[in-house]
Amino acid sequence: MIEQFCDWLSGTNVSVAFQSANWFVPLVQTVHIIAIAILLTSVYVVSFRLMGLTRGAQALVTLTAKLTPWIWTALCVLLVSGMLLTITEPARELLNWAFRVKMLLVLALAGILRVVQLRMRRNPEYWTESPARRHAARAVGIVSVIVGAGIVTAGRWIAYV
Amino acid sequence: MALEQALTWLQDLNFPTEIRESVWLFPTIETVHVFALVLVVGSIMTVDLRLLGLANRERPFSELAGEMLPWTWTAFAVAAVAGLLMFSSKALTYYANIPFRIKMCCLLLAGINMALFHWLGTRHLETWDRKQPPTPAKFAGGASLLLWTTIVAAGRWIGFTT
Repeated sequence: MIEQFCDWLSGTNVSVAFQSANWFVPLVQTVHIIAIAILLTSVYVVSFRLMGLTRGAQALVTLTAKLTPWIWTALCVLLVSGMLLTITEPARELLNWAFRVKMLLVLALAGILRVVQLRMRRNPEYWTESPARRHAARAVGIVSVIVGAGIVTAGRWIAYV
Repeated sequence: MALEQALTWLQDLNFPTEIRESVWLFPTIETVHVFALVLVVGSIMTVDLRLLGLANRERPFSELAGEMLPWTWTAFAVAAVAGLLMFSSKALTYYANIPFRIKMCCLLLAGINMALFHWLGTRHLETWDRKQPPTPAKFAGGASLLLWTTIVAAGRWIGFTT
């Protein structure tokens, strides 16, 4: 079923056109990496604050509010560039278990970021107002650091598995 | 000739040979390299965008740079070690590779740009720390953004040309 879809997709005019331009994949990957740079740096800056490993001049809620549009814009660029890469080489991505793990981790990270944001939208002090919440913040920070590293790792291993 | 001998010596060392012959060592080191370099690029671009007046305009430059540069340097150290290990596994091949040479030149230029900005561009920082930077500082930010984009692109092209 997925194999047939890959066969069909790789035979479409648009896929054939992308495949025949040998600069297309590295160019789109460059855009993809720069978007990951913006996303991962933003996520790590917030996560380290949640973990209490770094201090900043701005309140966590201010920092998060400012980074939010960058994070979601980067995610959109990643989605579009990732889809272009998938259209070019469907079997390389869709039949690859590292790709599937990566997609699950991306969904997990998007969910975590949404929860972090929503809690603070209702209560700016949500993650810092009690020792229990600070523990929770630490756990959320650790999980998002690991998930972020997992996304990069799974992404790079698509080329090898 | 002496350089070729040195590169041959390097890639014939035990660990570089092991990286070359292993199926998992190279991808693992490459993963560490990519992980570190995205943090380098992300943190540098944050500072560049502030210099260009495109982000964090209301934050003092010194405060933002102070928060971002520890990320840059830590991640750069990791990326450099991983990169050196990757290079050592096929030193002669990489040395002859054009995108690799472009990447190294851009890294050098980015370093010079950063040093010049640090020594000359921040001399009157107190006059613009909370405002738009003067033109030379903006230029340094724009140059850095361009150089790092080229470094990422050239780095990706190495994988398609070796």
